[in-house]
Amino acid sequence: MDPLLLARLQFAITTSVHFLFVVVTLGLVTLLVGLQTAGFVTGKPVYERLTRFWGQLYVINYVLGIATGIVMEFQFGLNWSGLSRYVGNVFGAPLAMETLVAFFLESTFLGMWIFGWHRLRRGVHLALLWGVALTAYASAFWIMVANAWLQHPVGYELRDGVAHLTDFGALLTNPTFGFAFGHVVLAALVTGGMLMAAVSAWHLIRRTPDFLLFRKSLRLGLITVALTVPALQGFGFAQFGPVGQLQPTKFGGGADRDALVAEWTARFGPGDYTPPVLSNVGLGFMILIGFALGCVWLLLPLLWRDWFIRLQFPLWLVLFALPLPFVAVILGWIAREVGRQPWVAYGLLPTGQAVSPVHPGLMLTSLVGFSLLLGTLAVTNWVLLARHAARGAHDPALGRPPAPDTDHRPDPVFA
Amino acid sequence: MELVWYALLGLFFATYLVLGGYDYGVGLLLARGASPAARRAALNAVGPFFLGNEVWLVAAVGILFGAFPVLEGELLSGFYPAVLGALTGVVLVTAGVQLRSRPRAGSARAAWDRVVVVGSLLAALGWGALLGGLLQGLPLRADGHVAGVGHLFTPFVAAAALAMLALVAVQGATFLTLRLPAADAPSAGRLARGLMPAALVAVAAATVLGLLSDRVRAAVTRPALAVLLPLALVAALLAARAALGRGRPGVAFAATSAALALPVALVGAALWPRLLVSTVDPAASLTVADAAASGPTLSLLGWLALPLLPALLGFQAMCWWVFRGRTDGRAPVYW
Ligand code: HDD
Ligand code: HEM
Ligand code: HEM
Repeated sequence: MDPLLLARLQFAITTSVHFLFVVVTLGLVTLLVGLQTAGFVTGKPVYERLTRFWGQLYVINYVLGIATGIVMEFQFGLNWSGLSRYVGNVFGAPLAMETLVAFFLESTFLGMWIFGWHRLRRGVHLALLWGVALTAYASAFWIMVANAWLQHPVGYELRDGVAHLTDFGALLTNPTFGFAFGHVVLAALVTGGMLMAAVSAWHLIRRTPDFLLFRKSLRLGLITVALTVPALQGFGFAQFGPVGQLQPTKFGGGADRDALVAEWTARFGPGDYTPPVLSNVGLGFMILIGFALGCVWLLLPLLWRDWFIRLQFPLWLVLFALPLPFVAVILGWIAREVGRQPWVAYGLLPTGQAVSPVHPGLMLTSLVGFSLLLGTLAVTNWVLLARHAARGAHDPALGRPPAPDTDHRPDPVFA
Repeated sequence: MELVWYALLGLFFATYLVLGGYDYGVGLLLARGASPAARRAALNAVGPFFLGNEVWLVAAVGILFGAFPVLEGELLSGFYPAVLGALTGVVLVTAGVQLRSRPRAGSARAAWDRVVVVGSLLAALGWGALLGGLLQGLPLRADGHVAGVGHLFTPFVAAAALAMLALVAVQGATFLTLRLPAADAPSAGRLARGLMPAALVAVAAATVLGLLSDRVRAAVTRPALAVLLPLALVAALLAARAALGRGRPGVAFAATSAALALPVALVGAALWPRLLVSTVDPAASLTVADAAASGPTLSLLGWLALPLLPALLGFQAMCWWVFRGRTDGRAPVYW
């Protein structure tokens, strides 16, 4: 077996699983911030109940984000040691920023938020959730800076075949960064909104108690989707400009591509410099899904007088559409990542040079092991999420008031 | 500049071993077949700190990638099996602890607890093997790559892994002595004291095997420091035992924490200025200066990250302060 193929497969599988979870994290945390802030400002109990219910789902989802994220981080060193050797000076900086600052704070805040109900002042508790959200966005920001650099290396100079950083600003103004970051963040909001709308729709179809609560979150979810889908489409189409110009081999042929391939052949020797066909297949489907989700605008008028709920079929539509954004995000990433093959850093570092010289047997063990492990965990996690979503909002474990107890807060024992 | 980042790398990894150490220690102790209520209490004790502990590892690897990219690639791929084991363990513990209370059935919770036990075991063994492996050097070739992973399978590495396992178990039991409700603390304290002899034996075995191994003797540039390591570990363990006996769990926890942090500091110091010592070609050894990222990257990271460091540490400290003290009937329950 070819270690390169194994390493690529492992990266593709683990990142895809990672993204299925973080896309929900990023979307839901934004909605949660809205809910908890609304509760803080208005003092209405319904917002606190909504925050606990959606917060519980958010936290369950978060588990796999961390577990898969840690695998991602180690994978660079385990399977792609050439990446750190040749381009680590540049590519490592945004990744280090992300893990050192963003994740570090995000998880610290989240731990305090989960355990801080009824213990911290409400304002502090709310501030913690804001902290979680801001650092989640910061992590997406830095990871996209890193990824954009792989798509289009900038701000570096080569000395002895190793890239050295010369201009950090160029990494932030990279043309493959801005639109892609916006597109990813909006995709997360659409996904979070769809999830909220679909779970609420399920409860409304089943006529579980808490009609008013789920009516509210159905509306919140639908309106989020409606407001973000057009922008998502906009950022999506906007990407064609810079990508087509900077990566002529990505979406089809033309004179630019042939010129670039000729240049690479001269510099790196003859080889196959066009990405696998697989890369473009999904793109069209993603765009179709984008337009399909845009149809939410046709349903919005039905929110008037609750026709959306009374007619039932819109609820079913929302429920069945839930997989769509998840399919779209994976297809989008496959287009972006497979489309830049055979390069790890486009036009700079070929994939074959970046892979670790590890024994194929070992690589295979890690591929099979992590795919099974993360796959099992992912499925288990979704089952738990579905069960908790179905259980309804009457008493989530998150934020449950402590049992009445005469014990007052004991003194610290550290001494 | 490299030295600052090297020290930071050590600081983050050592803190991870201290904090993650009690997570895994508590996880290991779930294997004792205690009642569901006792396991509940143990997880409550870890509760609010759990998420904030493991990020020290994430940040350490971030520093590794940003500031020492060459080391990152060779270290992780050169110790592939150890890293794979540790990583699997970390993933299992992460998922197990957070998900174990989501199902309502006792049997499902017990199954998740077993996942946590296995994960803790793998994580402790994996990090121990990595530290041991660093001390005995690895077949780094002149082309900068490590030849194979057979070098890891030696008695010394196995003993180092077991020693780490024992230290982690002691750390977990001591943490519980400090955190559990006052009524349950004495039994945790007895457990911690009972584990001490095993830890002492494991440390002694690793020491003897290290002294006997010519690869370890060749790799270590500062033998005095390397000998100091087991002595300091023994001293820390004995101090912890004495403090537990006198009912001072705070002091004992400080001592067992030192026992987990010291190996990182002393391995770094004993190999300095080298990081990865080559057993096949001394000239191919990787020094701290070779492994570091180039100047502009380090200073950029310095400008961006160092000013934030007080905030990072401050929020961690806030977490410890808010949730200080023993758990009681009103402790928040989530895991
Ligand atoms: C809810 C998910 C979702 C939806 C409905 C869409 N996208 Fe998308 N798309 C993503 C989620 C996504 C993504 C997963 O977030 C990607 C992967 C990489 C990236 O930057 O965003 C992406 C990548 C991506 C790329 C690849 C960029 C590259 O190769 O560098 C293009 C050209 C588009 N999108 C364009 C569109 C258009 C024109 C859409 C519809 C009108 C659309 N996307 C809908
Ligand atoms: C989370 C969404 C992402 C998904 C679903 C994804 C998907 C993929 C896929 C499918 C491949 C394999 C390509 C092939 O072998 O043909 C790949 C490779 C890779 N991706 Fe991503 N990717 C994502 C984000 C990122 C980010 C943010 C980075 C960098 C920070 C990154 C870095 C890499 C690297 C280094 C490789 C290996 C080299 C290669 O095969 O090109 N990816 N990814
Ligand atoms: C576009 C792609 C990516 C995005 C938007 C993203 C975003 C996130 C977010 C929001 C989290 C927080 C946890 C959660 O959401 O459940 C997370 C976790 C994590 N991600 Fe990613 N990520 C991406 C790709 C990657 C890649 C390529 C790596 C490899 C370096 C990585 C490493 C991590 C790590 C280590 C964690 C765990 C942090 C913790 O302990 O809290 N991510 N990611």
